[in-house]
Amino acid sequence: TPRFKMAAALKRTVEALMERGAIVRNLENLGERSLPYKISRHKERHKRGGYFLIDLEAPPSIVSPMMEHLGRDIDVIRRAFIKHPLAKAEECGGIIPVSPEEKLSSKKN
Amino acid sequence: ACLGCRAVPLLTVTVSLAAALWARPRRLQHEGQPGRSDQPIHMENPYKDPPKRCVLCGINVDYKNVQLLSQFVSPYTGSIYGRHITGLCNKKQKEITKAIKRAHVFGFMPIMFKNPQFLTDPKLCNIKHPE
Repeated sequence: TPRFKMAAALKRTVEALMERGAIVRNLENLGERSLPYKISRHKERHKRGGYFLIDLEAPPSIVSPMMEHLGRDIDVIRRAFIKHPLAKAEECGGIIPVSPEEKLSSKKN
Repeated sequence: ACLGCRAVPLLTVTVSLAAALWARPRRLQHEGQPGRSDQPIHMENPYKDPPKRCVLCGINVDYKNVQLLSQFVSPYTGSIYGRHITGLCNKKQKEITKAIKRAHVFGFMPIMFKNPQFLTDPKLCNIKHPE
């Protein structure tokens, strides 16, 4: 059954992460939907997939071995690591009007 | 002389009353203070408009909400609209571009077209804007 396969794949991933010394904070299921475009992976053309988001705390040296590990896993279609998007202070004070002299000067930004 | 003798108390009374009623004119009051000049006081324009905000000012941009990202993408080609069309400030335009490219790679958003689910969303970009 596909649900069992997904659960098994998730379990494998999380165990591999914990093995390398990562602290898993949260695991979110972003739902199962049809992919925006057909993806070929492991000699198969995929149209549907489940999206999962794992919140973790780990040293950056874990990224490359984990990417290799997930690349070898048949059930994983696409893998990615990103920095945790920290809640930035909402300091947006609006568009500050720039005087025409500043625009003409060659200073970048 | 007689008039003066009899009218003295009356006169004094009237003078004091008039003093209470008669307010000293302003220019005489100020003349006495040498430190203050009558030049205009420098202050920031109190009638200034609040700074203009772009559509996304204060909204957190995420690669996961494909609906928001799709509003800044062409429905025909799927290409990202430029700054002159979206009307966003520099920071938000950069954030949107980065988020859209991420969503493309991670398989959240289609690349060559706009998701048909989001075609009827409110239009934020004026496509007919002359360059």
